[in-house]
Formats: sequence, structure tokens, C-alpha cells
Amino acid sequence: MKTRCLLGIITLGLACLAKPAPGAEVQFTSPGFAPSKMDAQGRLLEDWGVLELKISGSEMADTAEVKAVKLDEVNQAAQSSAQHGGVRVTRTAYRAPVWPSGLDVLTLRLEETEGREQSVQVSLALPDSARVGSRTISIGNRAVVALPANARASQSRRNWGYDDDATALPGWGKPKVECDPAFRNIRAGMGGVPIHYRFKVESNVALTVVLGFCESHWETSGQRPMTCVVEGAPAQAVDCIAKWGQHQPGTLQFAGNDQNGDGELTVTVLPQTGAPDQNPILNVIWIFTAGHTIDATQVMRGRLNVQAMHYVDVGGANDQSLFAGGQAEYMIKLPAKGAQEMTFLVACVGGSVPTPERTAWTPEKLCQAAAQVWREWKEAR
Amino acid sequence: MNTSPHTHHCQGCLSRRRCLQLISSAAAGLTFSGSIVSALGRERKPAPDFVDPVRLRPHPLTRIEAAYLQQPRPYWLGWPGTAYPLDKTQAEYSARLSQSCERLGLTLRAEAKPLEKEADLVTLINGIKERKPDAVLLTLQHMQCWGWADRVSRETSLPTIIFAPVGTAFTGHLAGISRRQGVHVISSLEWPAVEDGLKMIRAKRMFEESRILWIKGNERNETVLDRLGTKVRAIPRDTFNQLFDKMPADEEAKDIASTFRRGAKKIIEPDWNDSVNSARCYTAAKRLLADEQANALSMDCLGMVSAKLVPTPPCGAWTILQDEGITAGCEADLHGATSMMLTSYLLDRPSYMNDPVPETAKNLLIASHCTSGTRLNGFNKPTAPYILRSHSESDLGVSVQVLWPEKSPITLVRFSNPNELIVDTGKLVSNVATPPAGGCRTSVEVKMDNVEDCRDVLGFHQCVTLGNHLRTIEGFCQLYGIKIVHSPREATHFVPETKPART
Repeated sequence: MKTRCLLGIITLGLACLAKPAPGAEVQFTSPGFAPSKMDAQGRLLEDWGVLELKISGSEMADTAEVKAVKLDEVNQAAQSSAQHGGVRVTRTAYRAPVWPSGLDVLTLRLEETEGREQSVQVSLALPDSARVGSRTISIGNRAVVALPANARASQSRRNWGYDDDATALPGWGKPKVECDPAFRNIRAGMGGVPIHYRFKVESNVALTVVLGFCESHWETSGQRPMTCVVEGAPAQAVDCIAKWGQHQPGTLQFAGNDQNGDGELTVTVLPQTGAPDQNPILNVIWIFTAGHTIDATQVMRGRLNVQAMHYVDVGGANDQSLFAGGQAEYMIKLPAKGAQEMTFLVACVGGSVPTPERTAWTPEKLCQAAAQVWREWKEAR
Repeated sequence: MNTSPHTHHCQGCLSRRRCLQLISSAAAGLTFSGSIVSALGRERKPAPDFVDPVRLRPHPLTRIEAAYLQQPRPYWLGWPGTAYPLDKTQAEYSARLSQSCERLGLTLRAEAKPLEKEADLVTLINGIKERKPDAVLLTLQHMQCWGWADRVSRETSLPTIIFAPVGTAFTGHLAGISRRQGVHVISSLEWPAVEDGLKMIRAKRMFEESRILWIKGNERNETVLDRLGTKVRAIPRDTFNQLFDKMPADEEAKDIASTFRRGAKKIIEPDWNDSVNSARCYTAAKRLLADEQANALSMDCLGMVSAKLVPTPPCGAWTILQDEGITAGCEADLHGATSMMLTSYLLDRPSYMNDPVPETAKNLLIASHCTSGTRLNGFNKPTAPYILRSHSESDLGVSVQVLWPEKSPITLVRFSNPNELIVDTGKLVSNVATPPAGGCRTSVEVKMDNVEDCRDVLGFHQCVTLGNHLRTIEGFCQLYGIKIVHSPREATHFVPETKPART
């Protein structure tokens, strides 16, 4: 069957400073919490900005409306519907009462209505300030959107950057000795999330990689043992306190190479199994061409930065996501009369979204929890 | 010194309310009083406002599906062997399973016949997917059945307990599957280990059916905890002290005060009024739990005492609730409360959240707080000896110094969050008296297992419970995807300071 491509482009945009359009708005919440709103365009209005679902391309929506609905007969929700050519688009949002602050659940449902297979491109357009991780989108250190589990975004990639859900903590490091300023900043894999970087390189090239660390939380060793993996090099275990002490910068050197020949060199720092503190940290990455003699002290003091192919102030000013801000895309194929749903978890007032890999929440459980809480809720006596 | 002015303290002479409370509690094996026998002889009706604590503990519907997996008979060579009495073994295990389910309040659906064909397995898997029980129990009757057990677990995605009686597994069979999330393998002849597995399923359902009252601040809202599924209802702190003010010093309160005092090995600070006020705290807590359809609580008690909103801290009342299987946590520490619920629901015994003090001269951990339960060996077991004290920080009201049995193993648990649990074990060395020590009333010294230096013990408000339950807790966490963290085995060593390098 012929596939009709690009029937419509659905753009889910995060516009932090955008103002809501005038018109009807529908509020929804869970017991005891401040509400979120969906406007007539089906956009979610959150305290961190506006999460916008809009139609662009040649075929505009025939109709659009937002209304209050009840899910499972009790659960407050807002629902926006529009017809885009042969695809019916429905956005439904409700508040899931996830401890401690709740989160909004936005479901995008696409239904083919013309009786033929169609392809739809769902684009996640993002502002530059939004950082795209492997499964979450963050603004600052706040994870504001968790991406659907059943679809992988195809996003435009930079030459290098992080591909994880770790958190930037500028100023966390407090080095006591002269060293490169990047030792003051870290990214931390909160909750045991590995720190993972990718660098575009020539296939099979050999490189010297230096990782810099400065532990400024723990005073004693044994708390944050980590494993560092550079592609093509033996893994190295490190306990910063045992090796260098608190507030003491230090470096590890690796003879890496693009072992699998995919044109990318990967660098990973992860917690050791059973480590009391499961949050790995990383301060600096230097990548040099192989064959150079690297003076560790000179590297640590930042005197070889200009010679490095890559110098990454991890969690600092020149750090970046592997994925360019502005857009992420999903290609959806809808069979004739078929439908597909994508669920986005969205931070609501005062909250953030959990990392999908580390939570037991599923769309079904979230909906059940919301319904149960509403059924059993009663106002104060 | 017992300073009670109350003269009506004869053994066996209890009020109507207390009598009925004891009868209902005894029926569930839950009561804090040791003087129950003499109370059972009378028939009395409960007061209309009496809150039966048995009803505050969750009793969820928990559905188990069970099946035997075997090879076509007769067996010839291969383990468990031709001599293995299949029928007798299965009859015996079926009887034990029925008894365990009855004891634990589980609903059992057992396959009528052992499964031995591919078609049987497919039918079972499809049936389980449709019926969606809370867990599956598979009893293996041949070494060649492991692949089937693996399929049931993977294809149903349900918590799966695999019981492999000795003779049906080598180490290689367990290598992968026994460490996989969602699976609990018991390779043993010990039926209590299977019952522990069933308790894991029941405990999870109890978490899911529980609501914790989070009594603090001014907000009223409700959320649900990740993974555990427990509802958390935040209510304003004043709700409690306003209700306390309305609670009368009635028969129930006086009986509780009297019974509690009578059971004490010694009474040091609290007078009769303190005991009655403590009992009013208990009845207020029960009333609040019932009104809010809740099963556990955690309250900003220190803030309340600091603001002098109640004449007594709730410590003594919390001890009684703990002994009745109702978690009552301190300082609005939510994860402390869920940790206490874990020992209550999974191990059927109370625990107390502690302030951890390193005893560096003896390299021991001192676990100290004012709210220990007394039924340390289980809710249906006798109480440990206790001394009635005041709450140490305020020197007000009633707190209990429970004298824990020396040389006994203990377990420390603490949820860092619903996805991660700190677990350590140790051996109880001695009880610590206050004074000469400062700090909380129940205070025990613990020699930690597998932690070289007491200063390295992880967490705060870890919950102490009697017995070494590491295996059971690990099994529960593996079934439900909760990450386990232990305190570091090796000590941290002194690192000399280094002078800043000159530039």
C-alpha cells in the first residue's frame, strides 16, 4: 500500500517565554495541588513555560476545541481535539498524584480516519535552553518532560555532547590547589544514572583521553567508588578520596580508540555496584591525538587545553547535549483506521519528572493512581 | 516508682471497651497487653466510638496462582530421580500451601494437575495473563522444568516465586534466573522460606492498599509513592492536637494507661496523668486514622512538642500502635515510616527508627529513639520487658525504654526513596541507659556485620528490627525492583592533609 507521507507535521514545542493564546482554558489538578491548564490550542501552561502541541505544514486543523473531561469517571482532565486531513489528533492531559508534587500526563493520540496508511511526523521543537537527554528534557537542573517509552526520537546530533540524564552542578567542586577552572563544575548522575558522552571521530582512530575529577562532598573514601569506561581502553575504577583526597583534583589517562568503528568515541562514568553513593560525577574531559606524551600535572592545570582536540568543562560553560536544541522528531506510521498513542510526562508546579528508567510508573499505573486518589479524597472536615 | 493515684488496677478487671478491644485484637494476634487471659471471660459490647485497631491494619485481597511443573511420568534417571515420590511430595506441599495461604489471608488458585506438556504451559500462561493474579508460585518437580518456569515469568511479567525442592536444581540452574528482577527462587526443602516468599507478595499488596497520614505543616493533599503504590495524605499538623484536645480521659484511655503501667518492669518519670494523656494520644491517633481511612502515620511530633501544643509527646502512644501492627512514625519522616511499614508488613514485627550514634571506643553503632514497639519477636509474640520513661528531649509525657535481648541479631532498613533501600545487619550487644548517656530512651549498642567501622553506617532514621532478615528483604526488593544498598564493608582510612601547592 502506498504510504502517504508527511500528512501533517505535529510540533510539540517548549516555549518557555511564550504567552498563552486568548480563549478558553481548562484547568485540571489532583487533590490539594495548584492546577495546570490546557488552552484552546491544546497547549499545557506550566510554571516553567508552555508545552505546545501545534500543527504545522500544508494541512491545517479543520477544528480545534478544548474541554473538561473525566477519565475513569472521576479523574479531572482536559482534552483537545482537532482534525488534520485524514488524522484525528487528540491531546489529553491530567494530573497524576505522584509523590511529592504530582506530574502532568499528556497523551497524544493519532487516529487514521481516511482508510489508508499514513505517515505522520511528530516534531518536538525545543528552545536552545532545553537540554535533551536520552529520555528526558531539562531546563536548568529541572527535568520537565519525560519522553515516550514506545518511540525513539530522531534528533539532529552535534559532533560531541552528553547522551544521558545526568545533572549539571556548576560550582560544586571546590579544588584546593591550582587547577583548570573546569574542576569547579560537574555533572552528576543522580540516582545512579551513568554519565555518558559521545565524540564524533575518524573511524577506528586511536586517541588519548584524560578524565578529571574533584570530589567535594565526601570526606572519606569508600563512599563514591566509580568505574570509568573509555571506548577501546581497559576500564578504570576510581575512588577520588582514596586516590587524591577531598577537594583535590586528579586525572585518569586512557589509551582509547573507536573500537567498533562507528565513528564515535564513547566515554562513560558509572557507579560501582554496591557503592554507598550511587551518583557518579565527572569534572573534565580532554581528548588528545594519540602518540603525544601527556603531562598529567600540566593537563590538570589547564595548560594543554588548547592542544586538546576536545576540552569539555563538564557541567560548565562549554558543555552541551549531543542533541541540538530546537527539535526532536518522531516518525509515526498509522495503518488504515489505526491509531497510536504517545505519552509525555510533564513537570507541574514545583515538581519535576522522574527518569523513566528508574521509576515503576507506567501510563496505566499513573491513571489508576489518579482515579483512586480522586475516588477516596475528601475535603477537610 | 509507680505514682499512679488510680486504685482500680486489679488484674483482669478491665472496662467494657478495653475488654472488647483485647478480644478483637487477640483474634488477630495483635495486642500489647500481657494480661489478656483474665479479660476474656466477660462479654461486653463496644462503645459506638471505639476504633478497633485491627481494622486499621490493611487486609488486601491478594491472589496467588500456583502450579507444579513436572516431566511426563514415569521418571527414569535424571534428578530428582526415579525414587522421588512425586504424588506424596505434591500432596504434602499442596497441604502446606493451603495452610500458609489461610494463615496469611491469601486467595489461592491452584492448577488441578501438574503441568507436563507444552500445551499445558501455554494454557497456564494465557490463563494467568487473563486473570492477572498478584503473583505466581511454581513448584518444580524436575530439573528440566526450568525453561518453563523462565517462560512463565517472562511472558506473564508477574512476580514469580519458583520453589525448587532439593533435587530439582543445580547452581547453574539458578545462576541467571534467581537474580532477575521479578523472580524469587527458593532452592530448599524449607517450607518457611516459601511462606516468606508469599509474605513478600502480601507485603506489596499491603503497601498498595495503605494510606499514610503525613501530619505536618498546613497543607492537605494526597499523592502516591512510586513503586510501593502507597498513598500519602498530607494533613495539617493542627488536626492532631485539636483532636487530642477533644479526646476524653474515658474508660478506654484509663484502661490503656493502667494496663501499660502494669506491664512495665519499672516506671521512672511518668505519673498517672502522663499515662492517661499518652493513652489519649493513642485514641486520638486511632480516631484520626479511621476518619481518614488511613493505615499508618508519620507526624511532626517534635515541632508539636516544641510549640507546646500537646502536654505529652506521642512516643508512648506510638509504641502501642507499633505493637498492634500500625506504623506510627516520628518527625514526619515519610521514608522512615515506609521503612517501618516494611518490617510490619513483611516480617510481622515492629521496628523503630533510630538516630544513629557511633560509639568509637567500642566500634559499635548506638541506635537510639523514643518509640520502640515491645513485641520484638512478632505481633503475636510476648512483649519484651520495658521501662516507662519520659520523652528524653523534653522530659515530658511517656516514652518507653524497651530492653532489647542482648546477643540477638538485628536488621537495619531504611528507604532512601521508594526505589532504594539501605539494608545492614548486626548483633545487639547491650542496652544503653539514659543517663549516664544522653539521647533517646530506647538505645541499643550494635556490633555491625560486614561494616568495619561504625562511623560508616549509612543513613539516618534507619529502622531497627529484631532478627537477621537479610534474605527475606533482599527477596522482596528483587521481586519489586527496589535497589539494595549496604554500608561500606571496608573502613575509610585517615588521609593526611596536603598543603596547597605553590604557584
